[in-house]
Amino acid sequence: MTLPSRWASQIAALAGLLATALILGWWFGGPGWWLAGAALLYLVYTLRHLYWLDRALDGHRRVPLFETRGLWAEAFARVDKLRAKARNRKKKYHRLLREVRESTGALADGGIILNADNEIMWFNPAAARLLGLNHATDIGHRIDNLLRHPDFAAYLKAPSGDGITVASPRNDAGWLHVQIIPYGTDQRLAIIRDVTNEKNVERTRRDFVANASHELRSPLTVISGYLEALQDAGDVPEAWQVPVAEMQRQAERMTRILRDLIELTRLETADASAARDFIDVGGMLKPIVQEFRGRLGPTVELALETDAALLGKESELHSIFYNLVNNAVRFTPPAGTVRVVWRAADGGAVFEVIDSGIGIPEEQIPRVTERFYRVDPGRSRASGGTGLGLAIVKHALQRHEGELSIASREGEGSTFSCRFPRDRVVFRSDAVSAVL
Amino acid sequence: MEVEDLGHHISRRFNEDLERVRNSVLSMGGLVEEQLDRAVKALSEGDSQLGLQVAEDDVKVNRMEVSIDEECSRILATRAPTAGDLRLVIAIIKTITDLERIGDEAEKIGVLAARLATVERPSTNYRELRNLARHVKQMVHGALNAFARLDTKGALDVVKADSAVDEEYESIYRQGITFTMEDPRTITRMLDMTFTARALERIGDHAKNICEYVIFMVHGKDVRHIGVKNIEAEVEQGTRRLESRP
Repeated sequence: MTLPSRWASQIAALAGLLATALILGWWFGGPGWWLAGAALLYLVYTLRHLYWLDRALDGHRRVPLFETRGLWAEAFARVDKLRAKARNRKKKYHRLLREVRESTGALADGGIILNADNEIMWFNPAAARLLGLNHATDIGHRIDNLLRHPDFAAYLKAPSGDGITVASPRNDAGWLHVQIIPYGTDQRLAIIRDVTNEKNVERTRRDFVANASHELRSPLTVISGYLEALQDAGDVPEAWQVPVAEMQRQAERMTRILRDLIELTRLETADASAARDFIDVGGMLKPIVQEFRGRLGPTVELALETDAALLGKESELHSIFYNLVNNAVRFTPPAGTVRVVWRAADGGAVFEVIDSGIGIPEEQIPRVTERFYRVDPGRSRASGGTGLGLAIVKHALQRHEGELSIASREGEGSTFSCRFPRDRVVFRSDAVSAVL
Repeated sequence: MEVEDLGHHISRRFNEDLERVRNSVLSMGGLVEEQLDRAVKALSEGDSQLGLQVAEDDVKVNRMEVSIDEECSRILATRAPTAGDLRLVIAIIKTITDLERIGDEAEKIGVLAARLATVERPSTNYRELRNLARHVKQMVHGALNAFARLDTKGALDVVKADSAVDEEYESIYRQGITFTMEDPRTITRMLDMTFTARALERIGDHAKNICEYVIFMVHGKDVRHIGVKNIEAEVEQGTRRLESRP
């Protein structure tokens, strides 16, 4: 083991001091006293330095030092160095913290950090502005106590999907979009965005479509009326008979498109959840299937594998079933079959339409529920669709908390499945126990 | 040692109980606010279906009141709270009664809105009522915020706002009388409008009551029926006392 040189010199100095005292004591007599005196001197010297070291550690800067080298000088130099390092590090963190705070403060979106109990740990100025939070009073409060909208409370309990849009608590006409992102062990970040403008644009668009469809309907009624009268009159010149019939067909088609558009806007604007009337699904499906059996086209089979009923809105459920069957029949050649199935599954129930039709190319499946999207423009227009059927199905199903899934293989056929949650389905056994 | 641990455990559970019931009061408040919001929307947009829906959904509010009430009785019976805890439970029991009444008034507004939607609308589209409704909504919002934050200053602001709401109600009422004298055919509509204004004014009163319970809960002073000036003095005194506490 080797000692650092500063220690060696210190020990050498002490040994020198004691040796000198011993020699002097031997020379003048009373060596014990001389030794004790030297030791005392050394003790005072050490205590004095300890005192200044203590002061230096407390933050005192000016330390009077006798020597510029040796143990004590080096110790003080090291204290200074450590302190300077700490100071620099503190400055750096300070700057970093200020930058983080400034950048989060400059964000237009509000951010709130929540702990496992949904208590507010921190928020940025934008969040304070959007929600009316107050730094002095609101840290540590539960967020659902301050943002009390029932929809938000439900979302907070089970955050899912891309967040939720709620009315602003501060501004009557304002809308906020809130998304909760879990991170760390059990912390959560709520991101709040002002979506008032988006909401307004969306509403203007919807209002425009609704109004335009309504306004177009009345002139169209007049046109169809006269076309019909013209045909009934029977004195249409030979050359014009085909054009007039075609005009009438197109007018009819236009009426259908407008009707679907109006239906679609109604579904979009209506309240989030559909009514809960008791609907006998079997009773509703039979006439629909009957209607398609009467026409030229593929064979339509109906399989009612469960007697479950649905809680929903009659007109919307009819829309869902009719549109899906209609779709399948239109895209299936006369030799093919369309199977309509109503069965129980995973607690809920599934309505399925399986056809052996032309199918949908895989990359286009996600797009078929967009309005006016056509897989094969020429063909589908010829088959008389409005291009809105699946969009209506999707929206009506959403209002019943249902889910539409599409499986398809080109040339072999498609399967459209509507899954209804347990909450919407009434099995006859349930009904009996409810009565009992 | 074991006894102490147990005691700690019980008081923690107790705290959780109190916290839970306080949170459910605020979620009931959120529901009531939404009901009021939708009732006013039904009125201003002439949406009779929404109005009736509001009236139907009042059961949810009632159900919450009953369950919170039961929870409070259970806490009183099993924990025998004292001092601040007792004041909290008492304030909650009173608050939910007022919240439930606000729900009832919202139901009333919903029904009236459904009825008003079927008759001709005045050219102002009920601007006075919408103004009054906005103020009342702010009062309810402020009262619940004060409850959540135990903020007596905020509570005091709501109490002060009540007189403005009363004045607005008064002027709608007078206006109604003038209109009916000018044109007796509007009597039915004017009566419905006055009832709506009355319901809104009552909601303001309930919000004020809730704020008084907040002051009671925080400062331990009953400030009912003593006038705004005295309430202000009590709040100031109470705040000073809280601040001087080490």
